[in-house]
Amino acid sequence: MSDVEAAREEVQVFQKQVGTLREEIGRVIVGNREVVDGVITCVLAGSHALLEGVPGLGKTMLVRTLAEALALEFSRIQFTPDLMPADIIGTVVVDDSATGGAAKFEFRKGPVFANIVLADEVNRATPKTQSALLEAMQEHRVTVGRTTYQLEEPYFVLATQNPLEMEGTYPLPEAQLDRFFFKLMMPFPSRDELHTIIDRTTTDHEVKVSRVLTRDDVLGMQKLVRRVPVARHVQDYAIRLVLATHPGNAEATELVKRFVRTGASPRGVQAVLLGAKIRALFAGRFAASIDDVRVSALPALRHRILRSFEGEAEGVAEDKILDEILKKLPESKG
Amino acid sequence: MSQANHLSRLERAARSAGRRLKLRRALTAASACLPLPLGYAAVVVGLAKVLPLTVAQARPWLWGTLAPAAFVVAAALRGAWSSRSPFEGALALDRHHGLEDRIANALAFSKLPVAERTPLMQAAIADAAERAPKLEPRRAARIRLPRELAYSAALLVGLLGLAVLEVRQLRVLPPPIVQVQPMLLSADDVELFREIGQDLAKSADDPQVSAAAHRFNQLVEDIAAHRMDRREVFERLGSLERELAESSELDREAQDEGLKELARELEKSGLTKSAAEALSEKRLADAEQALRELAERLKKKQSPPSKAELEKLRSALQKASAASSEHQAGIDQRRKELEEEEQSLLKKKQQGDSSPRNEQKLAENRRKLERLSRDKQRSDKSQQQLSELDKQLQEAARQLMQDAQAAGQSLESAAEDVNRMGKQQQTDEQKKEMLKRLQELREVLRQQGKGGKEQMDRMQRFGERARGGGKQPGQNGQPGNGSQPGQLRLTRGSGDGPGIDVPMPGSSPGAGKEGGQDGAQTGAQAGKGYGQGHDEHLAGDPTKLDGKTQDVTAAGVDSGQGAASAEVIYGAAQRGFVGRGYQKVFTDYQTVAEQVMQQDEIPPGYRFYVRRYFQLIRPRD
Repeated sequence: MSDVEAAREEVQVFQKQVGTLREEIGRVIVGNREVVDGVITCVLAGSHALLEGVPGLGKTMLVRTLAEALALEFSRIQFTPDLMPADIIGTVVVDDSATGGAAKFEFRKGPVFANIVLADEVNRATPKTQSALLEAMQEHRVTVGRTTYQLEEPYFVLATQNPLEMEGTYPLPEAQLDRFFFKLMMPFPSRDELHTIIDRTTTDHEVKVSRVLTRDDVLGMQKLVRRVPVARHVQDYAIRLVLATHPGNAEATELVKRFVRTGASPRGVQAVLLGAKIRALFAGRFAASIDDVRVSALPALRHRILRSFEGEAEGVAEDKILDEILKKLPESKG
Repeated sequence: MSQANHLSRLERAARSAGRRLKLRRALTAASACLPLPLGYAAVVVGLAKVLPLTVAQARPWLWGTLAPAAFVVAAALRGAWSSRSPFEGALALDRHHGLEDRIANALAFSKLPVAERTPLMQAAIADAAERAPKLEPRRAARIRLPRELAYSAALLVGLLGLAVLEVRQLRVLPPPIVQVQPMLLSADDVELFREIGQDLAKSADDPQVSAAAHRFNQLVEDIAAHRMDRREVFERLGSLERELAESSELDREAQDEGLKELARELEKSGLTKSAAEALSEKRLADAEQALRELAERLKKKQSPPSKAELEKLRSALQKASAASSEHQAGIDQRRKELEEEEQSLLKKKQQGDSSPRNEQKLAENRRKLERLSRDKQRSDKSQQQLSELDKQLQEAARQLMQDAQAAGQSLESAAEDVNRMGKQQQTDEQKKEMLKRLQELREVLRQQGKGGKEQMDRMQRFGERARGGGKQPGQNGQPGNGSQPGQLRLTRGSGDGPGIDVPMPGSSPGAGKEGGQDGAQTGAQAGKGYGQGHDEHLAGDPTKLDGKTQDVTAAGVDSGQGAASAEVIYGAAQRGFVGRGYQKVFTDYQTVAEQVMQQDEIPPGYRFYVRRYFQLIRPRD
């Protein structure tokens, strides 16, 4: 088998695996295809997702289902203001149960030591606790005292935020938001979807999620994602797109100039392009396209744009700003 | 088909789509800017209609349309060549076929060295290559007419409508140009009358005559420059003639008669004999001189005349004065008759009915009245001058026996009167000369007007040949037609085409000579009809019909001083009327002709033709 054929097969397998995963999740989660794909994208990108939506939309259910379908270890942390870093990372305790009566210190791993971590209502915890989680997210390791513990791959954190109850919360600072690969908006289900949800949850119909992908499968898929090539013009488009979110850039739109204080970081370009690659693989293509970039742009950049005071005061949504950029930015430029 | 072929096909399709996109951008850009020149042109056309502007005035503004038009072209070029991605065409293909950038990516990866291509890149290229046959660049990059073109089209329609629209304006139209049919005069005649005009101007010593000569010259120049039509020319000629005729102040005949009678009486005295002779011979300057000398002699008392001589002089002066008075009475009588006749005609004019029958008579009376009025004025003037002279002579006679010096002064005054009369006569002579020339000009113009263009062409050719130019004689000779009655056929003996016909009333003598059959002949062949003239070689009584004439042979003396007249004339006929020899012969002949015309009674109409003949054959410079 030639390299080309092998690559073709790899992509086909990837597409099939993703399809299977989608189907399995879809057995539990009704609708929300974009959010499901976004979450899967974050997993395959080896990064994390910030999920925003009102309570009761199935955020926890989504993550749990994903963990079950992937046969990965899952933990859930409910963030509260009194939650301490040790509560999520783990703590050192004295273990005197050992034979011989000699007591010894033992590190007890916190909930972050899982493959998939659901950080529920992450903005309710204090910044100190938030930053403890964010270190784990970024470095995929945890340092307690003088000991560093490597987190097991794949490692995926899905943090949620409730956009309504902002009283007494600690909004994530920009530096920490930037660590999330995608920010996904959980929409309210449609009427038909609600019918389906009611049918599934208020009857004795019980759905058992099967493990469709192994840990190795996920790691293999993550590697394939990294190998997907991006043509120069596509990459250029992604870069221009991110640069256009900066008010001082020549291609910045009127909304950007008026309502944006700081544009997306280079990490934003990485997220956009990785998201584009994964989307290309979802479609069975061998390279990312401009359309892939465009689709990835919203979830990858919406939490990376820092609105100005005027933007916040007038309630101009980040999505609106990005939509205008996507609409006006020409695909090609010499 | 190999992957390489597919790739090249991909590239071609992408290039084609790229070109079409450039064209589309150029069209869009041009369409967006097109309203600018159209709007500008509409404004200019609108202003041109409303103000209104002439084409010449509007032209610079219309040229100004070029600036916005150039702007349109620049915009189109900028649109076409604006910097775009090299994969613009490929992206368009991807969009059209829904290929999610497969073509653009494949082309981008294919630019990389093979070693740098990953398996996924190669797979992407292969994936795109498989789709190459189905690509349609024409559809992927359709060239649609831009929407902006609709605005331009609307503007264009408006502009055309504006151009067609007729804005009613009150315009003062220039008076229609009257096509003047200029009076034509051949260059040869123009030159002739120029010369005549210059001579008249030179000889004129009276301001009135000088002004008339200037007007004559101006008239000739205007005719030469084709500035006047026939009517205007004849109007001006008539005006000039009338002025000259009216300003002829003296009744010359009456004055001459008066002076003759005066001379007859003065001749009786030895002292005034020379003055009398001069007066009788109309040498007024000499008469003046003689009277002055006599006056001087009386005044200075040097070698004074004897008493008997003085008595004779007194008697002669008295008689002269009396004769002058008698003559004045005659003139006065004539003047009275004229006045009565004038009054009678005036009455007739006032009483006459306006019936057509009497119209002609009235017009004739009117002319007669005018003539009489002029004659009366002249008679008055002549009488006035003569009576002045008479007074001086009478005064001299009265004072002669008492005071010789005073008598001398009176005689001096009489001499001055004679001088004035002489000058007046001279001026009148000049005016008459000018009148004669004007009549000649009128007649020439009338004749040429009859002949039309053909006549003018003939005159032109004749003038050229007369100066020694034009065609050489002797080619395609046409026989002259001297036998036609009433026409003098003037040919140059060469038969070089049509001659100049100078119409002559009556019949020609029948001895008109035919032109030669060719240029070598001199037209010596006899005409068909019998002649009424005489053989110039015949001597004796021409009326003697018995044939017994006396032949006299006169042999010319060869002085060796040049060619004979006949040779000169023959040469002139061949080469044109130039050269000193010809001039001399011409002068001799013309002098003879003038003398004959003065001595013999030749009708004035005929005199014109004789003079015209000599004008035509006059020597040219």
